Amino acid sequence: MESTFQKRLGWSGAVVLIALFALVPVIWIISLSLKDPTTIGDGNFFPTKFTTSNYSSIFKQSIFTDALRNSIGIALISTVIAVFIACFAAYAIARLDFPGKNVLLLASLAIAMFPPISLVGPLYNLWRNIGLYDTWPGLIIPYMTFALPLSIFVLSTFFREIPWELEQAAQVDGATPYQAFVKVIAPLAAPGIFTTGILVFMICWNDFVFASTLTSTNSAETVPAAIAAFPGASQFTEPIGTIAAAAVVVTIPVIIIVLVFQRRIVAGLTAGAVKG
Amino acid sequence: MRALGKGGLTGLAAVLAALAIAACGGSSGPPTLSWYIFPEPSGSFAHAAQVCSKASGGKYNIALNTLPTDADGQRQELVRRLAAKDSSIDIIGMDVTYTPEFADAGWLRPWIGANRDALKGDLPGPLATASWKGKIYGAPDNSNTQLLWYRKDLVPNPPKTWAEMLADAKKLAQEGKPHYIEIQGKQYEGLTVWFNTLVDSAGGTILKGPRTVSLGASAQKAAAIIHALATSPAADPALSNSDENAGRLAFEGGTAAFELNYPFVYPSIQADDPKLAKEMGYTNYPSVNAGQPAKVTIGGSNLGVSRFSKYPQYAFEAIKCLTNAANQKVDAIKGGLPPTLASLYNDPALAKPYPFKALIKQQLADAGIRPQTPAYADVTIAIQKALSPPGSIDPKSVLSTLNSQLKAALSSGALI
Amino acid sequence: MSAIQATGTGTATEQTPRRRHLTDRVKAERRLAYMLIAPAVIVMVLVAIWPIINTFILSLQRADLRFPQNNQFIGFDNYGSVLSSPLWWADVAHTLIITVFSVSLELVLGMLVALAMHRVIFARGAVRAVALIPYGIITVVAAYSWRYAFELDSGWIPGLFGIKSDPLASTTGSYIAVIISEVWKTTPFMALLLLGGLALVPDELHEAAKVDGASTWQRFWKITIPLMKPAILVALLFRTLDAIRIYDTVVIFNNGAHNTETLSVLASNQLLNRLNLGLGSTVSVLLFVLVGIIAFLFIKVFGAGASPTGGD
Repeated sequence: MESTFQKRLGWSGAVVLIALFALVPVIWIISLSLKDPTTIGDGNFFPTKFTTSNYSSIFKQSIFTDALRNSIGIALISTVIAVFIACFAAYAIARLDFPGKNVLLLASLAIAMFPPISLVGPLYNLWRNIGLYDTWPGLIIPYMTFALPLSIFVLSTFFREIPWELEQAAQVDGATPYQAFVKVIAPLAAPGIFTTGILVFMICWNDFVFASTLTSTNSAETVPAAIAAFPGASQFTEPIGTIAAAAVVVTIPVIIIVLVFQRRIVAGLTAGAVKG
Repeated sequence: MRALGKGGLTGLAAVLAALAIAACGGSSGPPTLSWYIFPEPSGSFAHAAQVCSKASGGKYNIALNTLPTDADGQRQELVRRLAAKDSSIDIIGMDVTYTPEFADAGWLRPWIGANRDALKGDLPGPLATASWKGKIYGAPDNSNTQLLWYRKDLVPNPPKTWAEMLADAKKLAQEGKPHYIEIQGKQYEGLTVWFNTLVDSAGGTILKGPRTVSLGASAQKAAAIIHALATSPAADPALSNSDENAGRLAFEGGTAAFELNYPFVYPSIQADDPKLAKEMGYTNYPSVNAGQPAKVTIGGSNLGVSRFSKYPQYAFEAIKCLTNAANQKVDAIKGGLPPTLASLYNDPALAKPYPFKALIKQQLADAGIRPQTPAYADVTIAIQKALSPPGSIDPKSVLSTLNSQLKAALSSGALI
Repeated sequence: MSAIQATGTGTATEQTPRRRHLTDRVKAERRLAYMLIAPAVIVMVLVAIWPIINTFILSLQRADLRFPQNNQFIGFDNYGSVLSSPLWWADVAHTLIITVFSVSLELVLGMLVALAMHRVIFARGAVRAVALIPYGIITVVAAYSWRYAFELDSGWIPGLFGIKSDPLASTTGSYIAVIISEVWKTTPFMALLLLGGLALVPDELHEAAKVDGASTWQRFWKITIPLMKPAILVALLFRTLDAIRIYDTVVIFNNGAHNTETLSVLASNQLLNRLNLGLGSTVSVLLFVLVGIIAFLFIKVFGAGASPTGGD
């Protein structure tokens, strides 16, 4: 039927538009990173003169390679700890009844709603006093704290999807609560946990406010903060080329994660309603 | 354990003991002075740090650390850490506007006695930026001042005043030739620099003393000039978003006839467009009143000793080395940072990279200084907001807007 | 072992006649619950609640970062200054303009993307993956990319549309640029939240309506949208709460110049530039209150989050 063909054409057209919409800025920043510095101001979308000097220059600077190492390490550790803690709390919220449940949820929501820019001052002073300034724990702790509200929300939604009867059936069959959890519940919860992990990793990878105020040297500065310290050709020149190159390098792992794990991400943010 | 045997066990114990001693022994070497300054791309600062570490004869090492590239970010990091009495900063690379604020907060050690004498080779402009309440709080390391760059092929006789320059640009516009005047009109520190230059050149000041607003006829004239440029055909369409880099790019792109900018544009155009570079001339910054030379706002950095440094004596020594003639020469030639020592302006080595050095020295000797107040950060925000975008300045009410904004800035109870 | 002694399972599989056992189980359940939430609560209280309370306290003082010993308690004077300042209200307006425009655009575009993700069978994985890419890009990077795209000399947008004036040198241009950058970055997130709701609309309803002769447009408005209302409300709630606190994008573009200064930028100016902790904290608290009011409106008045798909 022609209307189906028309419909399919319509949707394919929509898909092309969506792909363009999503990819144009990404291709643009790749193009900027490959443009010869003298042609940066020419306004062309694609480079007329190619160069890889931006990439070689950022990898020569330890400020960037150290920042990359810091970003990866800090984001991974924060993710693991945040998800771990959130699992316990989410299980309690999804499964158990206790006074204070609403207070906990409201408090989490409040933390998620507070403007982060105002929290850096008190945190900075606190970290200075206990010696956590410019260290990995100094960033890991705030990251996992501010990732907890979203993690608890997503995980508790996942846990609610898991039928209680399974656990009890296992126990009636003679399993201990621990065995019931490990053999029955954990495998079902795994996708949700994994998805939450990806979401938390993105939040940590993305952060600029905390990274720029709670770090100062190569030991803990992450990539978003390090980009702000890239020198240009002179005091007044903005290093568009190197910023673009750094942006591309930092975006590639994220794109790979998104491409490989798109099913999990979709499942996580659609509260498990869409399994792909 | 049995597999190791007796000899193996003793050997293991010995290794472990040695490791423990090495770890606990601590670093017994010369102390490291941490020098924090903006990231300088050519490596001249790193070179200076190395040279001066060696020159100390083993007494100390200087470690160069970088602050964020943007001036706001630099100040924010320094203030945050100094307010927390951070002892890991010894030598502070301060933008010239930080002196009153840092000194007033008690974060800087004054340069007195023999230290003060060591600074007598510096030009008066830079030295003034390092002073507060009669004392010097930093050693000038490099300076900067804007010149008028112009197209020799379009303007055979460069203008001497703002009025002349605007008229020249208008004429070029009518002839359909490149005619823009490039200047920093974006809402940021560069706008304050422009305004301050105009006010000082007109014979007035923005503040009288650290907390008293003193805007008068000179401020009115200054705001009028900004407004006139912004609404004339000479204005680059991107004026309200222009910074030093944008101005440089526009001139190199060929659309501009005039440019008010720092000397970094000179080596840049030689590299980017040698043909156009032959047509670029330079002269003094235009004056406001005919016959009265302009007082151009100076930039640059001073090096100060942190009050919380563990080795203040070494820090003073190190700074004296870092700002000596040899290092300032390298900074000037390699890093494009004009020196603050008067003697260097007679040095033939600077002739090729700075053919205009006489102009710079002249302007540094009679310089415009931005308002010296501990509340400078507030003052500059107020000025920027009152004058942005330059095209929307209302000459009739701008003075009262500036007055109220500045008063709000100097009061800690008002939002700006 | 009897089910009575088992911990953590809520529904009773056995009828216990005596109240004492129920109370024991309830007590055990609560104890387990508290043990489980303890790590999260401890972390959140120590790391997040303390700075939030500190901010409230500072907002009641005249406090300068450089002179902590001179902090003075002044009650609600800061609140008076801020709420009577025309700059505060101007920034509220700027923030609301950006929020309303970007969230509405995201809603429309997000719905289109969600529909496409739902309907497309061919290369569904690839389509979804590509649509998600903006979500994975660092906000700062996305802002730089769009800023360089709009710049008069180096960008491709002015050339493409034949724009001769600097887009970023006007108020309208700056708003458009910031909004486009925000919308690009967060549409995938919105699309996913909507997709969750879309997937729950039963196909049978659509089939039945088709049989009854309803057009696509009618089916969309009479079936899809009403059934998606909970998901739409949750999506709007989350995005609005984030949009009101917009910071990174505005700072990268032009730091709030040309009338685009938002409330977060205002707070950061007072806190980090002026070092006026009293005023800065006051702006933060008021921003938080504004966010709270919006959340309240969405949850209580529009009923967001009231259904299973909306979460709690």
